[in-house]
Amino acid sequence: MSDIAFILIVFFLVCASIQPDKGRSQQIPRSEEKDQKDEQSQNPEVKITRDRVFLNGNIVKSDDFLARIRILLAEKTTEADRVVVVKSREDTTYAFWIKITDYIEQAGGIVTLQLEEEREVKID
Amino acid sequence: MKIPRKKYEASVPSMAMGDIAFLLLIFFVILARAQDDSHLQWQPAKTELLDQAKFSKAGVVVDVDNKTYLNGQEIGVGQLAVELDAILGDAPVGERTVLLKVHKDATAVYFEPIIEAVSEVGGDLIHILEKHHE
Repeated sequence: MSDIAFILIVFFLVCASIQPDKGRSQQIPRSEEKDQKDEQSQNPEVKITRDRVFLNGNIVKSDDFLARIRILLAEKTTEADRVVVVKSREDTTYAFWIKITDYIEQAGGIVTLQLEEEREVKID
Repeated sequence: MKIPRKKYEASVPSMAMGDIAFLLLIFFVILARAQDDSHLQWQPAKTELLDQAKFSKAGVVVDVDNKTYLNGQEIGVGQLAVELDAILGDAPVGERTVLLKVHKDATAVYFEPIIEAVSEVGGDLIHILEKHHE
């Protein structure tokens, strides 16, 4: 009996440990294409800070963001126009970034990152 | 007086053989399937829409200490694109999946260069997240 119990425990442990990961795929245009697209059209620009989000320079409540970006992207017909340029401040948390980029993709946008060339290093 | 020698019989317990074989099988299954980044500490961010992650050749983790790991080995962000390119090689689209596991409180200065590196090598990025429960 103890053998059977042990084998059952091991079996359920294995089942628990090999559960596949779940996640969200993200299509990010390749780096070299990004510069060309930026030059070609005026894409919506989203700036994310630690707890705020700006859409084309205007502050938007994160709860209203989905509706606002949907309206903006509804006018865009081509895939190139649906590219949304995302700029993040260095203190933006991953959880907040995921929330906002999730909204952009739900609205049909294609996220592309714009990294700052140089980040300031603060020395206390 | 001649004392007869005792004869000891050694027999293999055939009843237990099945159990042992089964345990060995499970042991090797765990070894084969266990991710080598399982020792790293990180908490996934939450989202509402989740898909099943595909099989991937490469997994990048940013842990609670903001350290970056590629397939369980610590790596500098500057080397990431080169190493990812070596792992993904000439794999066709659909087999270039890179799993990204970032601690929910990690900041953009740590995770954005990783996303950029995956984009640079043409990897299919999958953010590993957790279901958001209302």
